[in-house]
Amino acid sequence: MSVLQMIGSTLLLAGAVVTLLAALGLLDFPSSLARMHAATKSASLGLASVALGSGIAAESVGLFGVGALVAVFMFLTAPVSGHMLGRASYFAGQSPGLVHDDLATARPSVRAFTPERSSRPSLLRMIPLVLIWVLLWRDAGAGVWIVGIFVAALIEWARRQRNAPVRVRIGGSLIFLGRYVWMVIRSTLRVAWEVITPRNDQIREAIVAVPMQGNSLSVALLVANAISFTPGSLTVELTEEPLVVYVHVLHFESVAAVQSEVEALERLVAAALGEEIPA
Amino acid sequence: MSDVVTMVQILLGLAGVLALVRAVQGPHLVDRIVALDLVLLLLAGGLVAHSSRDGSELFFGAAIVVALVAFAGTVIVARFIEWRDT
Repeated sequence: MSVLQMIGSTLLLAGAVVTLLAALGLLDFPSSLARMHAATKSASLGLASVALGSGIAAESVGLFGVGALVAVFMFLTAPVSGHMLGRASYFAGQSPGLVHDDLATARPSVRAFTPERSSRPSLLRMIPLVLIWVLLWRDAGAGVWIVGIFVAALIEWARRQRNAPVRVRIGGSLIFLGRYVWMVIRSTLRVAWEVITPRNDQIREAIVAVPMQGNSLSVALLVANAISFTPGSLTVELTEEPLVVYVHVLHFESVAAVQSEVEALERLVAAALGEEIPA
Repeated sequence: MSDVVTMVQILLGLAGVLALVRAVQGPHLVDRIVALDLVLLLLAGGLVAHSSRDGSELFFGAAIVVALVAFAGTVIVARFIEWRDT
């Protein structure tokens, strides 16, 4: 067995074990929202690790590329489906036993998010689309590239909406990614521990309103998604004007603790996106 | 190598059985959807793991399609639940 195969096997096995624990949590946890913490996130993390592991274990660059694509796909979709199901579950009244609930008193009016449209396609946004296209075709011939660029241009043209100008800072992004990966691993272990120990005595569910310090929608969206992907916390609702994130947490200690954690995350994200935060 | 893959697939299958129990138990539609979403993701994971047996890329495409279907289905049902219950 080569070194690559060892690394790949380790990732595969670790991913499978995390996924199995997630399924156990799905069976064991007391409420819908708590179960979602186990399933949508821990499982996605485990399966992303399986995808990367099998790419590495096969010792093939192409397979690793597609495996990484699957992993990135998991990272992108898990927060979205987790958030939508959590919202649906909360508003369907499936969250009894909350220790603290800011959303019950607020009941914010939900405004549909309508982005402004402008007809300026961005070449920068097309590059990842073309790369994904080529990776999926598993063929880097000229024809594939040309059709890929055409399809990316078509998608860019179809979604002519203006994004707020975001200047990604490389240093800040790396710090954010590092801290974020550590956060995800730590909380995955905590949820896994909760599953292994038979009694659910540490679970104290609560929904906490956290006002954003800045007023950038891009930062708020990224923070909301980052929260949702971390096992143990889930964004249930995000309101504009004022920008408030409603976070469901599995291990509630105090409102201030949750708020300071989210504020720290917001500062990291803002530094990565080059946004200002009023002190 | 293929022993490891077999073990991984057994673990994923076991997780699938547990998820199916939750899907049958419910009690709310949300719980069933979470469980079925997990079953589809496990299927995708099993397919992905299989391709490291012989390095064939055949199953990766299938895995991506299954994961996409799982995501689209979950989002649509979440929308449906909100629309129905409000």
